[in-house]
Amino acid sequence: MLDYPSAAVRAPLSAYEAERATLVEKAEPAPLVELAGIRKSYGSVEAVHPLDLTIRKGEFVAILGPSGCGKTTLLRMIGGFAQPSAGTIRIGGLDVTALPPERRPTNLVFQGYGLFPHMTVAQNIGYGLAIRKTPRAEKQRRVEEAMALVRLEGFGDRPIAKLSGGQAQRVALARALVMRPDVLLLDEPLGALDLKLRRAMQEELRRIHRETGGTFVFVTHDQAEAMDLATRICVMARGRVVQDGDPETIYSSPATMFVSTFIGEANLFAGQRCGGVVTLGAGPTIPDPGEDGPVVCVVRPERLWIDAGVEALSECAFRLAGVLESAVFLGPFVNYTVRLDGGESVTVSSREIGLRTRLNAGDRVAVGWSISDHRVLPHEAP
Amino acid sequence: MKAVLRRGLLLAPSTAIFLGVFLVPAGFFLVVSFWRVRAYRLRPDATFNNYSAVLTEYWQPLAFTLGIALVIAVVTTALAYAYAYFCRFRAGRFGMAFVFIAVITLFGGYLTKIYMWKTILGSSGILNSALAALGLTDQPVTLFLFNPLAVVITLVHYTLPLAILPAYGALRGVRDVDLEAARDIGAGPWRAFYDIVLPQTRLGLLSAFSLTFLFAAGDYVTPTLVGGPHTSMIGLFIQSQFGHRVNAPMGAAMSFTMVAGCLVTIALFALILRRMTRAVP
Repeated sequence: MLDYPSAAVRAPLSAYEAERATLVEKAEPAPLVELAGIRKSYGSVEAVHPLDLTIRKGEFVAILGPSGCGKTTLLRMIGGFAQPSAGTIRIGGLDVTALPPERRPTNLVFQGYGLFPHMTVAQNIGYGLAIRKTPRAEKQRRVEEAMALVRLEGFGDRPIAKLSGGQAQRVALARALVMRPDVLLLDEPLGALDLKLRRAMQEELRRIHRETGGTFVFVTHDQAEAMDLATRICVMARGRVVQDGDPETIYSSPATMFVSTFIGEANLFAGQRCGGVVTLGAGPTIPDPGEDGPVVCVVRPERLWIDAGVEALSECAFRLAGVLESAVFLGPFVNYTVRLDGGESVTVSSREIGLRTRLNAGDRVAVGWSISDHRVLPHEAP
Repeated sequence: MKAVLRRGLLLAPSTAIFLGVFLVPAGFFLVVSFWRVRAYRLRPDATFNNYSAVLTEYWQPLAFTLGIALVIAVVTTALAYAYAYFCRFRAGRFGMAFVFIAVITLFGGYLTKIYMWKTILGSSGILNSALAALGLTDQPVTLFLFNPLAVVITLVHYTLPLAILPAYGALRGVRDVDLEAARDIGAGPWRAFYDIVLPQTRLGLLSAFSLTFLFAAGDYVTPTLVGGPHTSMIGLFIQSQFGHRVNAPMGAAMSFTMVAGCLVTIALFALILRRMTRAVP
């Protein structure tokens, strides 16, 4: 398979990305959570097919997938709320498969939060410590620390009913963090929040992960959220992990057609492979060794070039002609929608602002891409 | 102003019924309880004689009634709570069906159930026939019927559905995720029940208890039919005061003493419940 040119074209790492990279490096040696042959079926329905997964200390893992892909079941099995039909779960070297949730070194932030309505904020957060019979002074100190960590100082005496959605989310987070779990599990942590709060909470989660140095595993169906937060993404579909890697790899080298469309925007060109040569329905042929059969050629919108005619794209190895349907100005880039002569519609994201003044809807245009900017993947039925 | 008017109109029918058939008659009998009867006629007065007579002459049936009603209410509430808990947490999607089955037995009718227990517990009843058939007894056991235990069994059976409803209603308010969250941060199943379920369902428990307690305390048909000579509940005495004894003031005084006794019992139960179900560890 072809690989994309690496670091050279990418923007320099942001401070967070750099930190995230060192965290992964530091974390490398110690496997903390080990799932071996984990399977879960409900009757004849296979919710999670047998899978192996290892999570290392300090990682911030996203389990990403559409609803019904088994991601929440997987998380609940780690937390002890669903018994696997087969396989073992080890945490910190200990087999916890048969242990109930209260005896696992994990804590879960539930999607519905599960805050106890008959207790105040401080009582909610301190409940787990009270069960552990933590001395009163230490309990109080740790509850206050936890409230400070989630920026809820002074909210201790609030009743749960008087909290906003974002505050409730923070209390749930504090209640789990105060137990100092080996692994913090989060089920769609930001799902119930509106866009603005979600952004703020993403920032908070990153900061808390950094400050506590903990191991976080969260489930989400939102690819942007997964890209934004995680140091590692496990993409799940139909009960299987279809790709597991860092966000950059998953975006630039999707393992399957599903991953390529689920994470980020993608243009798919249908084609057939025969004897190591892929012939796209749209015209071009691409030498690409592999199994004969239907394939798709995936090109990201930002890897496509667009110009007035095929001749203008002389640097592109593959060129297709069509009619420009629309050009939408989105600030940092312009999104062009082109109807190819073969009938397919493609999206091109271009940062070249000047182009827009030359290209008008209805014009004949050409799109093209370089040899290293596509990926050929086996075709999957939707 | 319009909103106030509309709300007033909405409340009017229920208020009228509550005032007309409950508060006014009750107020009337409260006044009557301080009157006297002479030559079979009511004479207005302001005497406490009726109340002192209740407390000196009728304290035994009064205490017995409160006692047996307490036993019935505690047993029924416990059974109803367990049943409702099963429906809410263990029966899955059949939960509502189980509640429905329990409630449907209310259609069986009150007297039917009393006679049913008479048939089961009587000397030629099902229980005795079964014991005889098994060769365990050669003579019918008369111990089952005509005693306080028969009253307890009958009334527990009758009031159970009445208690299941409020208990189930309260338990339905407890969210699964709260229980899972409690388990997640270290509570075992019992601990989670005690700290999360019980405090949130206290009001349902109190309603179940109050309903069954008041029903049992005010009943006088069951003790007449299955209670026997030693089950002297206050309802029987109140009935006779208003009936052939033609002494409404005395009957009214008994009734209001009983109401006071019931209120005190329920208040005490609420207090104990509050103590027992500490909301916060």
